[in-house]
Amino acid sequence: MKKRKVLAGLILAVVLVFTFGASQSMAVDTVKVGIVLPLTGSLAKFGEIEKQSFDMALEEINAAGGINGKKLDLLIEDTTGRPDVGRSVVEKLITKDKVVMIGGGYSSSVTYAAAGVCQQNQMPFLVNTGSADNITSSGWDWIYRINPPVSKYAGAVESLLTQVIKPKKVAILYENSLFGTKGATEFEATCKKLGYEIVLKEGYEHGGIDFKPVLIQVKQHNPDVVYMISYIMDASLLMKQSKELKLTPKMFIGGAAGFTLPEFKDNAGVASNNVISATLWHQVLPFPGAMDYYNKFVKKYNKPTEYHGAEAYAAAYVIADVLKRAKSFKNTDVKAALDATDMMTVFGPVKFTTWENMKNQNKVATYVVQWIDGNLELVWPKEGATKQFVYPVDWLKIWGY
Amino acid sequence: MNKKNGILVVLGIILLVFPLVVHSDYYQHLIIIAFIWVIIGSSWNLLAGYTGQVSFGHAIFFGIGAYTAGILAMKLGISAWWGMMFGGITAMLIGLFVGWVCFRLRGPYFALATLAGGEIFRLIATNWEALTEGMVGILIMQTFRSKLPYYYIGLALAASCIYVVHLTMKTKWGYYFVSIREDQDAAASLGINIVLYKNISLLISSFFTGMAGAFYMNYMGFIDPEVVFSLHFVSIMAILVGIVGGVATIWGPAVGAFVMVGLQETFRSAFFGLAPKWVSQGHALVFGLLVIFVIMFFANGIVGDWEKIKKIFFKTRETT
Repeated sequence: MKKRKVLAGLILAVVLVFTFGASQSMAVDTVKVGIVLPLTGSLAKFGEIEKQSFDMALEEINAAGGINGKKLDLLIEDTTGRPDVGRSVVEKLITKDKVVMIGGGYSSSVTYAAAGVCQQNQMPFLVNTGSADNITSSGWDWIYRINPPVSKYAGAVESLLTQVIKPKKVAILYENSLFGTKGATEFEATCKKLGYEIVLKEGYEHGGIDFKPVLIQVKQHNPDVVYMISYIMDASLLMKQSKELKLTPKMFIGGAAGFTLPEFKDNAGVASNNVISATLWHQVLPFPGAMDYYNKFVKKYNKPTEYHGAEAYAAAYVIADVLKRAKSFKNTDVKAALDATDMMTVFGPVKFTTWENMKNQNKVATYVVQWIDGNLELVWPKEGATKQFVYPVDWLKIWGY
Repeated sequence: MNKKNGILVVLGIILLVFPLVVHSDYYQHLIIIAFIWVIIGSSWNLLAGYTGQVSFGHAIFFGIGAYTAGILAMKLGISAWWGMMFGGITAMLIGLFVGWVCFRLRGPYFALATLAGGEIFRLIATNWEALTEGMVGILIMQTFRSKLPYYYIGLALAASCIYVVHLTMKTKWGYYFVSIREDQDAAASLGINIVLYKNISLLISSFFTGMAGAFYMNYMGFIDPEVVFSLHFVSIMAILVGIVGGVATIWGPAVGAFVMVGLQETFRSAFFGLAPKWVSQGHALVFGLLVIFVIMFFANGIVGDWEKIKKIFFKTRETT
């Protein structure tokens, strides 16, 4: 009996030593950067494409000599897509792993919560996707963002609307999330400015699967444009169910996010045809390495990549560039290096400035892509387009009715 | 009894000294989260375990407490620490309302009504943007940079919650609660005002859960409706903490809270980075398996079936 207790005690001791002590015994010549992404939960697909891009960039950076001879180590942590977990993950990265800066940040609410922790701890945080405006408009000086705020996502869509589609009535559907709500409010303001009538603006619950009630309402109003701000499953289901209800506006427009992922095409099938979406990137854009990145990604993971992946890939290079230029890995030195960032990436030029009410915000042009024959083609602005914008569309014929 | 008290004193000292020995914010954070679950679990246990009114809606009180503190801090500039008191009280008021509606129903119908109640409050918080900021959430800056104050406040709250449950169960009220659980018609026929005592149980329960919510707001600094009114992550977790630890035992929810928080983090971080990454993707599965396992073999939870567990793992006395 004694022996058993001693044994149990020993096992406990070993476990404790392991869990409390393991983190301290890491190799010394690595530079640790924490990356927060949703790797499980409903946003996992976005986390996955970003993680794969981070991994790819990391290999290349280290193969090319790392950070001035030191190995770059990206600690990619799962936020499970929840703000509270995101917060504790960031705290763990700062206090336990002693990272020199934080990157990643997918979904607005998680990024917003995590940014609060970074600001309070004076930890530089380079956001690559979380897009709600208040992440960079809260006056936080330790937060830097590569992607534009969600209010700017529809920029290219706006010019397409005014020059080609010229709608009279618009319906807006959005997920009840920080990203969806903010994006919908902004697009509503844009439409009002342009003099379009908003016939319906309706939020739906996260995780919804039956959109027919709301789509029937949309159909009754007979809008010219249906604008949707959705993540992945909801985007596919909205299009599939629109097809089933034979809802035929002049154009379906996605507000980026779910509408550009390859999974959207896989899930929605024929219903994804000719749907257009705002986007922040396309592989044919004349940025050095953009096409290379796309090809390497396809070769390595056997599926196409899109703007989320490009953001992550670019972010990894910005992180490497910043750490190479930083005088030391002290937070203030890293911040100074971030402030001085002015580089070209596959995602375009990256430079953090203060404009409008935002701080440390990169400026990014927006584009419109269209799903044509199963490929995501750049259709707007016209110069640089890979395919002619398919318009007007006979939806019923396309859907095979 | 003496041995039991001895264990308590030792555990108490360990918890008091822990943050002074282990300086890592990360481990302190995990224990603070566990304290919050001790409070919610114990409150849930008073209502569901002792009084037999199984609630699937404890997120209502948690969320109300958190939002009270958050809104007071953000809109009126009142320190969120005051919000802890107001959070508890507001949760109690809402508790009265919930009780008024839901106690008309019994057993599974009561459970379903509370479940619906939780969703209603989540939707209100999502859509009443003028008051709650909707999905933007409420962000406040924490008062302390160090975890120590939070640790001790959490510990004090958890201890007082357990103590209050313990005290309540020793008084007449406690016996009334149990009699209502065992057979409410028989209890009523003996002259017990079952409506009153169900409500008393609910009020104590909602008060502490509301405090826990307000403490969460103070500590985490960020809430949104999906976080604090979540069916999955608050209401169901409260039930799991109770069931795994031991329903209708004083220490059950406390044990359950530490087990659940520990397991969740162990799997999320893939055994603190020691195991391959894919392990972290299995945490939802492991949670489910654990609950099935506990319900099948230890229906009374870890504390309730402690004798049984002892027999299995240390079956020495019997064999000699």
